[in-house]
This record gives sequence, C-alpha cells and structure tokens, in this order.
Amino acid sequence: MLIGHLRDPNNQVVVVKGLRISVTGVNTRSPNSGEVRKLLSQAVSGCQPPEGLPANVITAGDYDLNISDRSVKASVPWYSDWKEMLTQLSSSKYYTATTPWFEAYRENFLQSMPASDHEFLNHYLACMLVVSSREAVPTEQFLKLSQEQHRIQHSGEYTYPKWFIPNTLKYYVLLHDISDGDEQRADSVYEDMKQRYGTQGCYLLKINSRTGAAGPDEQMPDPWSQYLQKTNIHSPYEEGVLNNVENNISSEVDGLDLSDVVSEIHPLKLEQSADPGFPGNPSKAVNSADTARTQKQGSVTPGAAPTAHGACLTLNDHDRIRQFIQEFTFRGLLPHIEKNIRQLNDQLVSRKGLSRSLFSATKKWFGGGKVPEKSIAELKNTAGLLYPPEAPELQIRKMADLCFLVQHYELAYSCYHTAKKDFLSDQAMLYAAGSLEMAAVSAFLQSGAPRPYPAHYMETAIQTYRDVCKNMVLAERCALLSAEVLKSQAKYSDAATLLIKMTSEDSDLRSALLLEQAAHCFINMRSPMVRKFAFHMILSGHRYSKAGQKRHALRCYCQAMQVYKGKGWTLAEDHINFTIGRQSFTLRQPENAVAAFRHILINDSKQTATQQSAFLREYLYVYKSLSQPSNEGSLPQLPLPCVHSAQTRVFFGHEPRLAEGEKQAATHVWLDQEFDQEQAQLWAELEEQVVAVANRGSVHISFQPTQYCLSSHTENLRYPFAVVEEPMFVEVVFRNPLKVPLVLSDLSLLWKFTTKDFSKPQGGTTGETITNEKEAAAGKATALNDIISTEVIPEFTVGLEETKVARLKLLPHKTGELHVLGIVYNLGTREEDNSASEASQLMFVRGRQDLEIQGPRLNVTKEEKTSVRHGPDRRLDPIITPPMPLLEVFFINFPTGLLCGEIRKAWVEFVNVSAVPLAGLRVASTHPEFFTFGSATADLTPVTPTAAEHCSAYKTMVTPPSDAAVTLVSPAAFGITGDNRPTVVEIPLTGGVLGPGEALQIPLWLRGPDREGVHEISFLFYYEGLEKNAKLGHRVLRHKAVICASRSLSVRATACRSNTLPGRGKRDEREEERSGSMLVFVDVENINTSEAGVREFHIVQVSSSSRQWRLHKCINPAGDKDSKLASRERGKLCFRATRCRTQEATSDALEKYTFADLNLGNEQIVSSTTPCADFFFRRGPPSEPRKGGVITVGGLLRRQSLTPANSTDDSMTSIVRKCSEVELDIIVLWKAYVVEDNKQLILEGQLHVALQTIGKEACSLSQKEEAQEMVLLKFKPDLPPPASRPSLEQLSHLIKTCLHYPESYDHPFPQKSLCMVPVTLTLSNCSLAQVDVIIDLRHKTTSPESLEVHGSFTWLGQTQYKLQLRPQEVHGLSLKACFFQAGVYNLGTPRVFAKLAQSGTMCETSQQSAMPALIIINSV
Amino acid sequence: MEICKVFFHLSVSVILSPLQNYPLYIRSVPSQSELKFHYTVHTSLDVVEEKISTAGKAMAEQRELYLGLLYPTEDYKVYGYVTNSKVKFVIVVDSSNTSLRDNEIRSMFRKLHNSFTDVMCNPFYNPGDPIQSRAMFTMVSGLKSDKCGWLV
Repeated sequence: MLIGHLRDPNNQVVVVKGLRISVTGVNTRSPNSGEVRKLLSQAVSGCQPPEGLPANVITAGDYDLNISDRSVKASVPWYSDWKEMLTQLSSSKYYTATTPWFEAYRENFLQSMPASDHEFLNHYLACMLVVSSREAVPTEQFLKLSQEQHRIQHSGEYTYPKWFIPNTLKYYVLLHDISDGDEQRADSVYEDMKQRYGTQGCYLLKINSRTGAAGPDEQMPDPWSQYLQKTNIHSPYEEGVLNNVENNISSEVDGLDLSDVVSEIHPLKLEQSADPGFPGNPSKAVNSADTARTQKQGSVTPGAAPTAHGACLTLNDHDRIRQFIQEFTFRGLLPHIEKNIRQLNDQLVSRKGLSRSLFSATKKWFGGGKVPEKSIAELKNTAGLLYPPEAPELQIRKMADLCFLVQHYELAYSCYHTAKKDFLSDQAMLYAAGSLEMAAVSAFLQSGAPRPYPAHYMETAIQTYRDVCKNMVLAERCALLSAEVLKSQAKYSDAATLLIKMTSEDSDLRSALLLEQAAHCFINMRSPMVRKFAFHMILSGHRYSKAGQKRHALRCYCQAMQVYKGKGWTLAEDHINFTIGRQSFTLRQPENAVAAFRHILINDSKQTATQQSAFLREYLYVYKSLSQPSNEGSLPQLPLPCVHSAQTRVFFGHEPRLAEGEKQAATHVWLDQEFDQEQAQLWAELEEQVVAVANRGSVHISFQPTQYCLSSHTENLRYPFAVVEEPMFVEVVFRNPLKVPLVLSDLSLLWKFTTKDFSKPQGGTTGETITNEKEAAAGKATALNDIISTEVIPEFTVGLEETKVARLKLLPHKTGELHVLGIVYNLGTREEDNSASEASQLMFVRGRQDLEIQGPRLNVTKEEKTSVRHGPDRRLDPIITPPMPLLEVFFINFPTGLLCGEIRKAWVEFVNVSAVPLAGLRVASTHPEFFTFGSATADLTPVTPTAAEHCSAYKTMVTPPSDAAVTLVSPAAFGITGDNRPTVVEIPLTGGVLGPGEALQIPLWLRGPDREGVHEISFLFYYEGLEKNAKLGHRVLRHKAVICASRSLSVRATACRSNTLPGRGKRDEREEERSGSMLVFVDVENINTSEAGVREFHIVQVSSSSRQWRLHKCINPAGDKDSKLASRERGKLCFRATRCRTQEATSDALEKYTFADLNLGNEQIVSSTTPCADFFFRRGPPSEPRKGGVITVGGLLRRQSLTPANSTDDSMTSIVRKCSEVELDIIVLWKAYVVEDNKQLILEGQLHVALQTIGKEACSLSQKEEAQEMVLLKFKPDLPPPASRPSLEQLSHLIKTCLHYPESYDHPFPQKSLCMVPVTLTLSNCSLAQVDVIIDLRHKTTSPESLEVHGSFTWLGQTQYKLQLRPQEVHGLSLKACFFQAGVYNLGTPRVFAKLAQSGTMCETSQQSAMPALIIINSV
Repeated sequence: MEICKVFFHLSVSVILSPLQNYPLYIRSVPSQSELKFHYTVHTSLDVVEEKISTAGKAMAEQRELYLGLLYPTEDYKVYGYVTNSKVKFVIVVDSSNTSLRDNEIRSMFRKLHNSFTDVMCNPFYNPGDPIQSRAMFTMVSGLKSDKCGWLV
C-alpha cells in the first residue's frame, strides 16, 4: 500500500492511496480467447465453497436458506480494498451478493482483457530496464535495452504491448546478487548510472543475501506465494529478439516490482499475475554474457517447486525490494504521471481556445470523410471508427485515464464527460461507450459524491458495446462493473435485471455465473424473492452443468432445492432431485445421489411410468455402484417399497391346517382374520373365565389374555411369548408407490437373538447376542438355521401402486430373547421386454429396511399430555420360552346347519402335537347351551364316530305309553352347581394327561340354538403343561363355529289350576290332588319353512323336569299317539301335572329335579340322562334376555321366592305370588323326517318350555327378545316395578273354590214344591298365609240376565260367611240350594272375597268367578 | 394457498393454496413443457407476494383481486389474481398472443374464481387437497375454447 501525492494541473494536491503497481514482462501478451475461456473456467472450478464452514443462513419468509454467498463485504478482499481505499465508503452497511468463484472469475476476466485502442487504462506507463551487476558492461546493456524498448514502442512492428504515452518513463535498475557478485563493482556501476540517468531514474537493488544452504528449519515467509498461486494468463512472446537482456519474469509483490520492463497501473485491475519463475532468479538471460553467471536457484525450475520461491531472500531483502518500489513510484512514476497530466492539460486548454464549433467545422472540411451521416448503416460503420493513436480526440481520454489512475476522480469524471460528448458528436460509438463507462465509474468513485451516480451512462454503455459494437467482452466488463455499483447501492433488482440481460448463449460459464449472481441479488432484496432466487439458481445450475462445472451445478441445484422442497411442486422437485442425483453421481458422491434418487422414488410421484422406471433403474445402478465397495459392512437402507411398519402383524404358532375330509380343525387364530375389537374382548372374557375356573375362582392380578396375533390394535406393551420350536410369522405390509412393478427377491427377516435358559432360576443365564445381519447381507440368510430358522421368500412381486403383505417365518430352536430388526431383500425391477431378462437379473441391489414400530401415544400423566410421547411397542421382540404343550382340536361330523333344538352327535378329537404332556384341558364357550360332552354319569365308552349314524343320540327304552316314568336327578351330576350355567367345562382326559403325540376322541352333542338364524359360537380350549412354566402359565386354542339354525317347532304351554274334586279315585291320587294338581296344555306348531327338506315332525315324548311338579298323565282326548305335524300344522296336547310326593320332598331332594317322561310312541327316551338332561340343565333362562335390563316376571318371581321378603308389602306380594307360581319345565322331544339328497334322515331334537305362572302362556321361542329389539330408547329411568301391591289378578288366585253337588237331582215336585239340594263349597287356601274369606251368597242384582237365569233358585240359610283359612287349609262349607221347579241351574253364583289376614287394608278381592256349575233338577 | 394455475396454449392456469403456496390445481395445455411452467408459476409467486405486500395494509379491504400482469418473460405473460383469503390464481399466456386484452384475462380469472368457489363448496372436497373436480376441468377447457382465436 503506497500513499503518494501529486499535484494536479491546478496545483491541488491529490493523495494517492493504495496504489498498486502491476508489472509485466514486455514480451507477455494477452492470451487468445480460447485460452481465456479455459483460464476462466479453471479459476471458477478451482474456487469452491469451503466445506464445513457454517453456511450463511438467510431467513426469507418461511424459508431458511443456506447459501454459499458469504456476503459480508469485509470478507471480500477485492471489494473491501476498492471501497475502503478508494471511496471511503467503509461505513457502508450493505452487503454484496457475491461468491468467491464469481470474484475469481471477475478478476481473471478483467485481467485477461486485451488492451484496446479506445482506452488507455491497461496501457503501459513506464518501463523498467533491469540489468544484472554481473554483466560485463552493464551500462551498455542499459543502452541496448533502452534502444530495444524504443524500437518496440515506435517502430510500429508490434501491436502489443500498447504504450500509454509516447515518451515512456524508463527506469534503470541494476540487480545485484549479494551472495555472489562483486558489491564494489555494482556500486561503481550504480554511481555511473546515477550520473547518466539521474538519481531519480535508476536504482541499485541488492538481493539474495542468503546463501543457498538455508536450513529447512528456518521458516521464512514466502513473499511470492500469494501471487504464484494465481494462474498465469500472460504468456511470453516467442520472439527471441525481445529477450535479449531483460528477464522475462514479471512479478509483483504487494506493490513491489522486480526486474521488469513495463508497469501499468489500473485501479480496477488490482490483481496481477506472476510468473512461476522466481524473481530473484534471472533464469533466462539469453545474452551470451550471462552464461558465466552462477545459477543459485538453478535447481528451482519454474513451477516445479512452488514452495521454494523466495528462499534466498532475507527479511532485509524484502525491505529492500519494498524500498525499491517506493523509490520507483515516488521518484519515478508519480512525477512522470504528474508531468504528463500537465502536458495533456496544457494541450487541451490550448485547444479549447478554438471554439468547439469551429473545431468541428474544420474537421468537417478537412477530414469530412470521418463524419458519418446519421443513418443506421453508417452507425455501424462508425462503431468501427478508429482514431489514430495520437489523434487529438484521444488526448482528453488519455488525460482522463491518467487522472483516474492516480485517483483524481473528479478531474477524471469531467474529462470523461467531455470526451464522451466529443465522441458522441463524432458518432464514435465505441469510444463514447468507453467514456460513458468510465465516467460512471469515476462518478461512483468520487468521494463525497457531489453528483448522483449516472446509472443511465452504464446502461447506454452496455447497450452500445453489445448492440452497436458487438463486443461482448466489453459489454460484460461494463455489466460487471455496473452490477457491483448497483449492488453497493442496494439496487439489487436493477442489478439482477442487468445480470440476467447479460446472459447469452455464447458462454455457458458466464451465463451461469451471472444467473447465480442475479439469484443472490434476489435473495438480498429487502423483501427477499426466494422463488426467483431458486429459479435462477436452477437456471444457473443448468448452465454450470453445460459449462462442465459440475460441482457448481450441483451446489446450485442443492440450494434451489431448499426452496422447492416439500412445497408440493412435485414436477420441479423431481427434476431437481434427479439432476442432483446425476450430478452427485458423476462427482462421485454416491451417497448424495442415492438420497436424491430416493426422494424421487418414495414420494408420490406424478411422473409417468416410463419416467419412473427410468428413475428406478438409474437409482438401482447408482445404488449398486455405491454398495459394492462396502459389501462387508452393514447393509444399506432401501427406500422401496414403502413398509408400513405400524401395520406389521406378528403371529405365534403354526399355520392353520385345512380341513381333512370330515375332520375339521379348530379355526384358532390366523393372520387372515381381521382384528375385531368385539371379538377380542369376547375371547379375553372367555379366557378370564376359564382361567378363573382353573385357578379355583381367582384370577391373578396381572392376568393378560393370550394373544396369538399382535397388530396395531392389540396392546403391545409387554414382551410377547413364543414357544421354542414353534414358528412365528411376521406379516409386513409393502406398498409400491410407483407405476412400475417391483421385484423383491430373497426376502427374509433380520433378527437379533440372545440365548437364555429360562429353566434355571433367577431368569437363567444370558448367552451372547447373535444376529443374522451379516449372513443376510451375504445372501446366506439360512446360515444360522440351527438357532433360528429363517424362511426366505425367493421372489415377491409388488405390482404397480399395490399394497401387499408378505408373511415371513421364523422358527426358533433355542430359548431366549428375540428381536426382529427388519427385513432384508434384493430390490429389482422387472423389465417389460423379455429380451433384457438377463440384464434385469443383474439389476438389483441388496439392502434392508428396519421395522420400527412406534407405540401408542402416552396420555396419562400431565407431562405426557403436554408433550408427544410414545410408549414402547414390543410386537417384534418376543421371548422364546421353553417348550409348552400344543393342542390341536378336530371336529368330526360337525354340522353347519341345525334345526332349532335339534340334537346332533358329533365327535371331537384332541391331539397333543407337542413333545410335552398336556393337562388341565377345559373349554369355555359363549354358548354353553349349544354343546355338551355328556355328564360324568354318561357312558363314555367311545363308539367310533361312523357307528353313530342313524342311531339316536338319546338313550331309549322300549316302553308302551303309559303313565310317566319318573327319575330323580341331581343337577350336580351334570356339572351344574348353583344357579349359574357353566360356561367352562372340564374335558375328561384319561389320567388327566394327554401325552405327547396322543390323540383323544370324545363324543360331543350339539343342540341347535333356539332361535333361528346364523349363530357364531366361540369355543376356547384351555390347557396347560404338566410343569409350571414361569413365562407362560397356560395356552389356549380358539375355535369359532358357525351354525345356521332353521325353524322347527314352536311349543307353547299353559298351566291351569285344576278344579277337579278330591275324593274320587284312589286314595293316593286323592292325596296328590290334595297337594295340588294342574292341567298343562301344550300347543305344538310346525313352523318349519323349508317344506322341501323337512317332511313332518313327530312328537315323540313330552317330559317334565321340575323340583316340585311332574307331569303325571297324558289326558289327551284324541287317541293319536304318535302325533304328526306336517308343515304349518298345529297340535295340542293336554297333561295333568301333580306335585311331587311329599315324602320325596326332603331337604336333600329339594335340590333334585324330577324328570317325568311321557312317551307318545313305543320308545321312551330317558330324559334324565345324557344328552337330554345335559341340555336341559344347560338351557338358558328362556325368557330372560341375555343382554339388556328388562327383568321379566319369571325372573323376578324366581328371585323373590328365594329371598325372604322384608317389608309386609313385599311379603304379601311374595305370598300372593307364590301361590300362583309353578316352576315346571316341559321338554318336548321330537323327531323330524327330513329328505336330503334323496335320503330320508331322521333328526331328533328337544325343546324346552319353562312354565312359571299359572295361567300364563310360556313359549319355547323367546318372543320377548324379539320384542325387545323394538324397545324404544328410554331417556328417563324406568318406573319402579309396580310390585309393591299384588295385582288383582294375582290375588284372585289366593283361594281355590270348588262346589260339590250331585250332577243331577231327582225331585218329585208335584209332591213337594220345594227342592233342597245340599251343596258343599270347598275353599282351599293356596297361599302360605292366613286368608280372610267372605262368601256372599246373594245374587247379584245388577245384571238382568242373571236374574233371569239364577232367579229361580235361592240359597237357604246364612247369606254371608266370614271365615279365616289357615295356610293351605281346605275348608268345606255346607250350603243349601232351594229350587222351585225342574230345570238346569247354575250353582256358581257364590261370590268369594279374600284378603290376606295381615294386610291392614280391607282389600277384598273377588276370587276367580267359578265356571258354571250346572245342576239338573229332574222332576220325577 | 395458491390454488390454481391454468396454462392455455402456452398458457397455464394454476390455483395455489393461501399459505404454503403449494399448487392445488395446475393445468397446462401444452403438456410437454409442463416443468417449465411450473418453474415460471412458482417464480411468479414472488411477484404476487410483492404486489400484495406493496398494495399496503390500508388498501387490504378494498384491494382489487386482479393483480394484472405480474411480469412478462420472453415467451409468456404471467397474470395474477388473489382472493381475499389469499388464494392465488395465476394464468400464463403466450406473449405472442396479442388478442388477449386485460378485460378478457380478468373475466377468465373471475370464471376461475367462481369455479374454485364451487369446488370449495363441495362437502366432499378436503381443503388443501389437489383439486380433481371434473367441473373445474371442463370450465378450464371452456376458457380455452372460448378463445379459439388465440389458441393454436
């Protein structure tokens, strides 16, 4: 940095700061355009964004962009120099939008500008003549050199170099090598020189004071290094003439010059190239006199060892060189310039004396040819108008340039301005444009800025250069300058427009750089235009790639990607990704390439199928080349197809077997079944029930239902259990987002396994962890099959845009902890054409995808609620437990369709397929009434299943129809305890154990459900091992049977109180009747709808079962013993029922049920045995709906009869109820003749009717449930049941009345006009409480009809009786009726009122009006 | 959202979602240079945003929905339209097509806006999804055929 002074023509002192001196060899010349292009390209590609540096983040709207525009101005040397040194705008807070490679380009570009005739800025101002002190006669050499220079400048032989002023400053330098030469001689020569050229015109430079043997430990700064790394753009002239004495080495050291001829100063060209040759090494002294010279640094060949430059210079030498340059500048150069400016100024002033018009007029007259006409054609010519080098018009321009060089911008501006006017008036467009350009620059550079920056000058200049002069290089230079100026003024928009305008087809590199700069301008605008930035970055990237600047192209695309990413502009995104992928690949960044291609493939691409397949192929190719070197390491993650991890399902157990003939395997669980929350709940409940039964009523707190199939619906917080030697399946869901089919081959699971021996206490010993990752990577997925067999799917195709599941099997052979990590496969694609089948075989890559399943979101604690946390999901981490028994269940002859109530015998086979004995076999079911394995008393001798055909499922005895056969059975014999129906049934095993491999067949009776329709019946088989397994207590097997029930018979039954008189018949009968008897009417209707199938139904037998009552006798009037019912026929059966004998009604027998069979045919079915009694005990409460809250009368009654009533009201009610309660179950056994496949089959079945209340019809079909489905939704609570008071109807059953009288009575009316007939009114208290009875014999007077009918007889004696009847007391009341004439009379007129004795209110109730009791009075 | 862009012969119309500026509907008539249109439209959003922000907050109430010519490129003219809910419509037409007046563009936008409103009223349309309405398709095709003159 030099600070100098000089005086301008007005004697004002001008301070020159930061002057730089550029020194070039005289024989260097501007390179040709091809070389320039190459150099520029090298400069750009050599300058890359630094890696690892924190990127410059710009936040623009929603975008955070990392751009490599390190735009703080202080970091940019070129710019900061310019501005700080030259314009004092150091306080500027603006940023430049620039990049290092752009600067490198710009500097190199400006430097490579050839010197042109219309401007003088890069013309040479001075010439250094350097002669070594070892020359024999240095002064002669100086002379020679001086002459040579003069010849070059003035002979006109050379167009280059161009000289600024005719009398170029010559500066004579004697170069002395201290370590080598004779110092005294040099000094004497220098003295000589001083006398000859004056002290200001010559210099003695002594350097190389260090000997060559400098130790390597001495760290000397290399003064040339920062210049030498620059590429040399000047190449030496070939002409040897020029190289006589001068060293052809040019260099510049921070403003220091050595041994050179020409110097030029240009503030805009601050960089100067340096030859690789060492400045202190006069390597190419062509002169023969030079040969004796020792070449100290001879070994240092130019460019070969760049680090060795300056090795012979000491710090003193550096100072000397610096001093030399200062001397040159201040003593030689600046005074020279000052002098020239004055001269030029004087010339101009003298010329100004002539009026401008005159001047131009003279020109017109004398050199008229130069003045162009104002036509377009002419304009073009004038563009090529050339002034001769010493033309007066150019003098002012020359002066302007000189002023500009010494930073006298004000004067420079005015000169440029004047020159511009002159050139314009001459229509010398090239010259005018140059002046305009420089005028604008000097206006910009003027400190204090007295005038606004003339932006239009620049525009005009650019336009002129480009359109008129067709000189793109100059236009570009002008545009670059202008853009810098605009940027420094924060006019980014203008700068961008300007830069974009400058892009053209002829240079991709330039276009790319300018577009990138434009993009940076957009992003630097006050409101950053992010999208424009991105777009221009893409354009720039495109041009870069065309220019072969791959790295820059990639960077551009990557930066643009930041804007387009994830914004829905898929086409653009794909395009960018594809380009990034390709560029990355060619730049050997396969990771990035893979990532980019991955993006194209995994997103829902809108590309066409062919495009996608091209993408895919390219991706596979890139991937393959990437993965090849790292074959040993872990497998790469593949992006395709998409794996829906969360939908992964895991199943533990064997694949289900298909049905084998008649054998039908239990359905169990399999992956084909969809998850059903309701079903899962049902199974869990069943399992809980059966576990409770197995553990004697208690369920462990940590009980968890066994889950065989884990999916996203199940709770996967705990590690699942799998049993050793039993397979597990992992179902993985693949989705192919592409329109191209994907082929996965050698698909298998990846796992990690830790062996553990659970049989030892304390959790066992932990073995080492094994994983099959390596083996899978090598394609030998089956290598570790002795630990865990891994199934490999050889080929698995996922079609276009298809979602498909793959089931992958593992079979563990050791206990321990297994973790399924992921899947491994070869990804490939299928070529459409078969010819390329071989190629497609090669086109696949092996990789993996991990299965990572996120658990459900936690939402319990506050912390979890406020943040998003997910619980673990251990679906894929099963614990392999020691062997457990494994049960398989087969059903033989299991029907799919049944008639309602039909009994069918089937067989069930239990097989233990494991190597461990099995015990504790139980079954739970949702429909326990549907099946029975027979009672403990039943004969279990297994008959082979085939023998059962056409045999009745019932046990029969041949008996003629007669009175009922009675059996007493305890429900405990059928496994019934308490009131609850057993949902869990223990299955008897011989010895309680089913050994390994053993099978057991036992019969199974089924009864068709009472309701028609399709029934799903769930069986849950429970079993456990003999020895307790700590991990897995029990196992279950599920079966779901579907039964289609069709209608058979409908049975309705009513019970009536019998009014028959006691006293007739046998004594015991009387006794029975005294304790009570009933009439039971059974209506049977054939409601079967399939007329073709079922021909007719036969009622075979009617049985009863009750604790208190039994059917006694069939009193069917019709003699039809084998009652047949064809379709839609209805039959009625009538039975008498009696109370069971009192002697049997001991406390023990109270719990026993009396079964009474009344067979209508010749065969008696023993209803008290299996299966009839089983099903009876398993029947559900018929009128009690399974769900819902409606409690029917029956249920209420039963309940109330069991619980002692507390309040009087309740007790009254219960008493009243009790007397009308029956609790008698009727079992109707039937046979149906069915034609099926031209074969007649006989089906059997039984229907149950529960009679509960006298007079109330009960039905085998539970119609109430049907009705319940239609119940309206109630939003108010139900009214409390009106049970507080017994209803009238119920009260009317308190007292049973019976009139005993002769049916006909003969009376001789002629003899005796009054006939008196004794009548006994028997009152029997049905209740268990005292009842007050009032008997009123008066005739009702209200009804005229009754008058008419009854008026003819009267009761004699007391007309009202008041009685109190003890519980169950029978009281006879003797009455007398008096008749006046013969006839038929109805005696049933006495009205009986009853009330409970305790009841406070005198609520009298009319008892049931007796049926007409007719008496015939005959007159004799 | 930017909601719609429709490109007609050398023209595109695009609807864009109001906030994230992702395209809801893009229709371009010469499909071969679709990518280029995407870039053009995406870039035009900068201008749209600039115009909206410079229109000023004061004018936000009675702001003209039609933004006019956003910017001309060498081959195309890009017109913009922004609804009050910041749904942006962009139409790109061939700049050689001089028969299209400002009024015509304006009416095209109005039609586009109406059609878009219809789509939004569809209860089965999930806001934010790409528009796949057939009515929209025919409407845009209609825009095109109305102007046979300027379509090649």
